[in-house]
Amino acid sequence: MSQPLPASLRDLVADTLEIEPDEVTPELNTETAENWDSFRHLQLMLGVEGEYGIQFDPSAIAHLTSVAAIQDALIKKGVTF
Amino acid sequence: MLEPAERDALRSQLRSAVADKRPAEETLVSIGRLYRDGKASDALLCARTLQAITPDLLQQGSREISAFIARSVSLEPVLAFMQIEAALAGFILTAEFGGYGSFMDEMLNGAGPLHATSNFDLILLATDLEDFAGALPDLCASGRGDGVAAEIAACIDRLRSMLVALRSRVRSRILVQGFVVPDRTALGDTGESNLPGGLRAAIRQLNTQITQVCTEVSSCTFFSVEDVAARFGKARWFDARLFLSSRVPFAAAAFPAYAQAFAHTVRVLFGPMRKVLCTDLDATLWGGILGEDGPDGIATGTTFPGNCYRAYQQYLLRLRARGVLLAIVSKNNLADVEEAFALRSKDLALTLEDFSARKIGWGEKALALQDIARELSLGVDAFVFVDDNPAECEAVRLALPEVAVVHVPADEPWHYVERLQQGGYFDTAAISDDDLHRADHYRNEEQRHTLQQSVSSREDFLQSLDIVCTLLPATEAPLARSVQLLGKTNQFNMTTRRHGAAEIEQFHSTPGGQAIALRVQDRFGDSGVVGLLLAQTAGEVCRIDTLLLSCRVIGRDIERALLAEAARRASNDGARWLIGEFVPTKKNGPAAGFYTACGFTTDIPEGVPAPSQDGASLWYWYDLHWGNPPVPTFLTFEGGDHEPAIAGVSA
Repeated sequence: MSQPLPASLRDLVADTLEIEPDEVTPELNTETAENWDSFRHLQLMLGVEGEYGIQFDPSAIAHLTSVAAIQDALIKKGVTF
Repeated sequence: MLEPAERDALRSQLRSAVADKRPAEETLVSIGRLYRDGKASDALLCARTLQAITPDLLQQGSREISAFIARSVSLEPVLAFMQIEAALAGFILTAEFGGYGSFMDEMLNGAGPLHATSNFDLILLATDLEDFAGALPDLCASGRGDGVAAEIAACIDRLRSMLVALRSRVRSRILVQGFVVPDRTALGDTGESNLPGGLRAAIRQLNTQITQVCTEVSSCTFFSVEDVAARFGKARWFDARLFLSSRVPFAAAAFPAYAQAFAHTVRVLFGPMRKVLCTDLDATLWGGILGEDGPDGIATGTTFPGNCYRAYQQYLLRLRARGVLLAIVSKNNLADVEEAFALRSKDLALTLEDFSARKIGWGEKALALQDIARELSLGVDAFVFVDDNPAECEAVRLALPEVAVVHVPADEPWHYVERLQQGGYFDTAAISDDDLHRADHYRNEEQRHTLQQSVSSREDFLQSLDIVCTLLPATEAPLARSVQLLGKTNQFNMTTRRHGAAEIEQFHSTPGGQAIALRVQDRFGDSGVVGLLLAQTAGEVCRIDTLLLSCRVIGRDIERALLAEAARRASNDGARWLIGEFVPTKKNGPAAGFYTACGFTTDIPEGVPAPSQDGASLWYWYDLHWGNPPVPTFLTFEGGDHEPAIAGVSA
């Protein structure tokens, strides 16, 4: 994605994973982020859904394993930041 | 809902709270605002900030509650919400989760963390119907009800065995979550309401029987998630997508409602109880201003809008009937108020005599509340203050932050009862006989004060009261009353340990253990069970874990009766030393000098092992070789079924 990372998404990821906002990059993913386990993933997904007022298909959630992928999915849902 | 700018400001304030060294209490208030009025996703930031200020909150007196959650559903995503709600209610919640499929093994056999030495304050059992009574939906499909009762009975038996096994191993409070009566079933609404064996009826029955089992097990409480779901809205409660994909038992939008109900239960089980409701008069107990409208002009009675106020009065009367003391705090002339109560008695649900204290005058309300606290021998943290005037409310909030302040909207008197109910201040898991007689007790207390003024010396006064002490096992006080005393007594309480029923039973049944309750009567009435002592003798040493006396009877040396009885039993158990412990708190000043006044020393006697130095405890020793601590001669003892009465004590 060439679009910049929206601050709201950056903060959500940072708060869920308990890291600093500036540690959140589009490349950050479940492999590179130490804290990003399945429960935090669920928590993050619920947080994202609440923040942007959308719902993901549960089978898509398993693939949203990086910040960029989440941002991409939000744009496909028509979310503007 | 917060304005976007306000929300952003709060968010950045929370983000920098720790770096800015902002006071933790202030940060908690901001957390509360953002959490309640921000977006659902703000809970993540709130939870994170809460974690950062937790050490400070603990230091400032928030109580830590460690919970174990035995479950068959995913409550992990809800935990952050539960922790925030708990913190807003004054508790720091830490939680450990059991395995999805192992709740039965954990509870029944002590698998995992629920072994005998586990030390959780609270154990929550939260299961899905599928895992607890999975056959019910199919059995109820025909609506005929065949086999439903038997299936429910089998599930209840299984629950009973789990709870009994758990109770025999651990002391924790147990909270059993019920089940939500489903909004939609295969039968449909008409079938559910008309056929004998629908699923909704079955689940209502299941909940009723779980409640019954909870009453059979000590320190076990039913958590009605059905009520939470109903209040939230059944149609929105269940989210099939979340449940089927992640086993989350309710919709994300319902997390705050569930968490709030949970935190409320924690407050009821572990927090101090509110005991007094202080109400304003003008535009609160009745409509209008008595000084301006006169007794005939104030609004109260059976027609609108007077009936709004009457509804509020009737609500107060119901609170009084279960032990809440009522008080008036009003800026008015006493004679006018007396006249109004007399002239409008038919239109008022309450009489002036229903109020245990009355502060009617022109002084500051915060001072009046403190006066009432002194009169009733209660802390102001037991008070709820209701007033329509925002300035009075704010003044009381500032002067006495411990008081719960309820601001009622003068222009919408139909909301009064609702506003008062929202706080849930007088909620309780148990009501004792003593609660029911409390208001009468305080009326008798007034008569005692009058007598005190007419008798010259303190000894003569106490002698004239004809105090009779009855000692009985704390397990038969009844047990619920003992638990209540441990939970509520703040002033004359040496250690303020909030033990539950299980601990009392342990002291009672362990060799060398003591669990003594004290009932007090005098010529003005029966004060009920007002004292409690827990102690344990090991070898030559008897350590007094708990010694407390309800503030209703402080100042009559009654506590010495408990101490003397403990000494007598300790001697019988072979002890030479009594060890007293005092843990200072903000409130137990009245108990501070007790052990020294009874002849205890603060120096460790030679050859006695020093108690482990945990925290703020002060220790006192008494050598039983010199005889038992003296008991005042004005106390008379009645053995009841307790024998023998204290030796060497005469009336």
